[in-house]
Amino acid sequence: MSNRDFLGEFEHIVVLALLRLADQAYGVTVRQEIEVRTGREVSVGAIYATLDRLETKGYVKSHLGDPTPERGGRSKRFFHVTAKGVAAVNRTQRALRSMTEGLDLVRSYSQ
Amino acid sequence: MTKPFFVQPPRLAVWLVNLFTPYEQAESIPGDLLEEFSELALKSGGAFARRWYWRQSVKTIGHLIGCGFRSAPWRIAGAVLLGRLLLPFGFILPEKIIVAVLRIFPVYPNYDHKNVVALWMFWVPLAINIGWVIAPIIIGCIVAVVAKGREMIATMTLGLTFLALRLVAIIVNRPGRILTRPDKLLGLITAFAIGGVIVREIRSALSRRPSPTHC
Repeated sequence: MSNRDFLGEFEHIVVLALLRLADQAYGVTVRQEIEVRTGREVSVGAIYATLDRLETKGYVKSHLGDPTPERGGRSKRFFHVTAKGVAAVNRTQRALRSMTEGLDLVRSYSQ
Repeated sequence: MTKPFFVQPPRLAVWLVNLFTPYEQAESIPGDLLEEFSELALKSGGAFARRWYWRQSVKTIGHLIGCGFRSAPWRIAGAVLLGRLLLPFGFILPEKIIVAVLRIFPVYPNYDHKNVVALWMFWVPLAINIGWVIAPIIIGCIVAVVAKGREMIATMTLGLTFLALRLVAIIVNRPGRILTRPDKLLGLITAFAIGGVIVREIRSALSRRPSPTHC
């Protein structure tokens, strides 16, 4: 994987949600965090598809927690962002800032 | 601590999600759905939670199918190709077996010629019909075994590939000798999927068995 890779839009949102949730980041909390902060309804499948892709790229790592009764005895899968993932977020943020620099988006492009 | 809540999520939706979930996510995805379902059922009622569960399940299955293709494209393609190659043998084999058996062990040798012909007229079409039902299920099972962990995606792809090929053949006006009837085509696709379900259910049951290394 090249170190020039940027995160996709949804990947970016998911990694930021993981960073916000720290050690409480698993499917349910990530989904709810994204819904609350972006107002966008996302499915559990979309979250896991993105997390799997990020894990393949080495941007996140996961481990299984203990089984809990409210989950029918199933374990939570906790995620955390790796140093490579943090670097990818910074790279993406820098690129976005650079692209929007000097643009007055609210005044110039709104109707 | 969350108090126990006894509203159950829709069984069919739970079953469908389990069918499409890869083994490595068999704990996390159904567990997350159940956890949120229980929270919603407490907050907004069972009917609302059930609707939410169905909506989430449909979207999740869509993503799991896409993800399955991306994560193991060659395994799925190989399994589908194998199924496509096996299909002609699957249709012919039961017929050949019954004809061979009837030749080796003549049925009721004291029957007159007319009755023997009548018996053949009974057994051979029956063999063909059995072939039509059983062969695609067996082929679905083989495809599902090869596409380990992506059973449903592989068998559905096989069915849809077959449908696409038939449609192309019909469009270019070369419908071929078999499967121009929509009911047979639908039956074939369903039979592949049944094969996938059988293998998936067996594997899930085996993976649920307690491992000797666990307490």
